Amino acid sequence: MNTRAFYSWGRIAPVFAHAIQAVWRDVLPAIEGERLAYGLGRSYGDSCLLGGGTMIETRGLDRLISFDSETGLLVAEAGLSLDALLRFSVPRGWFLPVTPGTRHVTLGGAIANDIHGKNHHRAGTFGRHVKRLTLHRSDGRVLELSPEENSPLFAATIGGLGLTGVISVVALQLVPIQTAFIDAELIPFTSLPEFMALSAESEGGYEHTVSWIDCAAGQQHAGRGIFIRGNHSPGEARERMPHQAPKLSVPVDFPEFCLNRHTVGAFNTLYYHRLGGSRKSVRQHYSPFFHPLDAVNGWSRIYGKRGFYQYQCVVPFDGGLEAMTEMLRRIAASGQASFLAVLKTFGNLPSPGLLSFPRPGITLALDFANRGESTLALFRELDAIVRSSHGAWYPAKDARMSPQDFRASYPALDRFLPHVDPAFTSDFWKRMTA
Amino acid sequence: MSAPEFNAVLIGATSAIATETARAMVAEKPCRLLLIGRDPAKLEAVAQDLRVRGATVEIQSADFLDPATDWKGMLQSFAVGRALDCVLVAHGELSDQSACLTEGQAFARSIAVNFTSAAFIASVAAEILATQGHGTLGVIGSVAGDRGRQSIFLYGSAKAGLDTFLEGLRHFHAGKPGVKIVTIKPGLIDTPMTADVKKGPLCTSAKKAGQLVWQAMHKGKPVAYIPGWWRWILLVIRLVPRAIFYRTRL
Repeated sequence: MNTRAFYSWGRIAPVFAHAIQAVWRDVLPAIEGERLAYGLGRSYGDSCLLGGGTMIETRGLDRLISFDSETGLLVAEAGLSLDALLRFSVPRGWFLPVTPGTRHVTLGGAIANDIHGKNHHRAGTFGRHVKRLTLHRSDGRVLELSPEENSPLFAATIGGLGLTGVISVVALQLVPIQTAFIDAELIPFTSLPEFMALSAESEGGYEHTVSWIDCAAGQQHAGRGIFIRGNHSPGEARERMPHQAPKLSVPVDFPEFCLNRHTVGAFNTLYYHRLGGSRKSVRQHYSPFFHPLDAVNGWSRIYGKRGFYQYQCVVPFDGGLEAMTEMLRRIAASGQASFLAVLKTFGNLPSPGLLSFPRPGITLALDFANRGESTLALFRELDAIVRSSHGAWYPAKDARMSPQDFRASYPALDRFLPHVDPAFTSDFWKRMTA
Repeated sequence: MSAPEFNAVLIGATSAIATETARAMVAEKPCRLLLIGRDPAKLEAVAQDLRVRGATVEIQSADFLDPATDWKGMLQSFAVGRALDCVLVAHGELSDQSACLTEGQAFARSIAVNFTSAAFIASVAAEILATQGHGTLGVIGSVAGDRGRQSIFLYGSAKAGLDTFLEGLRHFHAGKPGVKIVTIKPGLIDTPMTADVKKGPLCTSAKKAGQLVWQAMHKGKPVAYIPGWWRWILLVIRLVPRAIFYRTRL
């Protein structure tokens, strides 16, 4: 068996683990000891890693099984990437019901993290659109799960961080589109209350909403950003061209001096002012709208050899504006902010998943280059704010939350625990249950 | 009236490179495919994927080690009433070299899979294409066949033999301009076959390799490295003097 280094997307702490490929859905490899499925490694922290154990690589488990062109129900193996799925479905007039900010995740990973997208207020999480899945347990049982069949285990597996077994097959309900384009509108805002008003105003008429926020802006510009909203664009079937493979890539780690408060501040200022202070409407392909960073292969290497953290939390609407304002103030003051800061409101559509992250409120997600203790100290300040407003943290993005905060974030944890497969674990899970 | 279908046979069809080549084909045009391999369940999984993508697909399981396997019959019965446009011979096995070097059965099996059966199927397929005066035969060789290297010379010598065989086969059929025989030499490709081989920055995904194989068959040049830059790496490897070469761990 091959032992090799495995990375998560933040690249902070690669681990060594046995690698074994799952290639055929009916005969998953026999494994001894601790194990975890590994798809494309796009979780940011340690939830997709298991140092010293066996990583079951699923990227070869990527076959289509059936597609109903009348109803849009796609059945496929769980290692299929959303990238490959869209290449197949878009020319046929169907799209993902929920897409995250990257296409480079597998169906299994999308379920294990119950991912969300810009349409959370209208469509909820990915797990709501999973009609059925096949789960392989370490005792050899192969179970069919759905909201109707084995529903408690289904609920544990949606957002279950891969801890309930290996997902081999997924039935996903796609949504119809007329073209591959989005009618998008970009609206600059100068404060968080303005952002909240735009969110509230857009929820009815827009399928997709998200904001970029300038976390490096000093006091006088704090809370400025760009609100982005859009709908799938009507048109002719010949406009259903899928995305292209990226032409750019970052083949090596950038030196650390490239990203600092001056370069990031300059980037953010330019980015904000590209609209010239006024609204702009564009008709753009889904790729730059949903997956702008996929245009550059391996972009996370711009953060250098030490890697980066992503911090994503959600705070309830009640008191959320104040909490978010205070967090932005602390981040700006720290001088550690990065350019990839995203702000969005979650709606109230419930997920079937017991450990699902999205819940009604405001979510903030942003990257921080790993500067060691000073970065972690900032996170402790932010944690205190999230804690006092009864917010939650997202395991898929996390490399450092405390077990207490995890427990507080996921009140259904006790109902989840009985469904954990005893042979499955992850570095994240060990950290949370230590 | 729909466009005429492209008729292709893939042998060793459950290999990652063959599967991805088939996907590239199917993404481009309407195809009718025959997938030949050892395991019917795996063939069916690959066939189903290609059917969902729009192809008409048949499967056929076969024993690659049995000299009596009727390859000619399989190809001909698929080609009844239509021209065979393309045959890809893609099966192979990367066995544990150190075990093979001391164990005669394993040694013989490695040569039988990687050379004997591949060369025989290629000659049968070439004959059929030559008779109809049209079609492309692609055979997966390897960069490992370009120079004997301590890490991989058993597999490498079988692929080198295949390389020489195909060059001869091309010569033999040189008078038929409609027939193309392409030796495909992949470098390090990320597939289940190479799961235990250390990967570096030179590694190529199976998906990319499949697209390049399909392009190479299109072009029909006699020898195609996958990706093309392996040609230059292997040129260097072949030119390194022995005194230096033997000090490397290649």
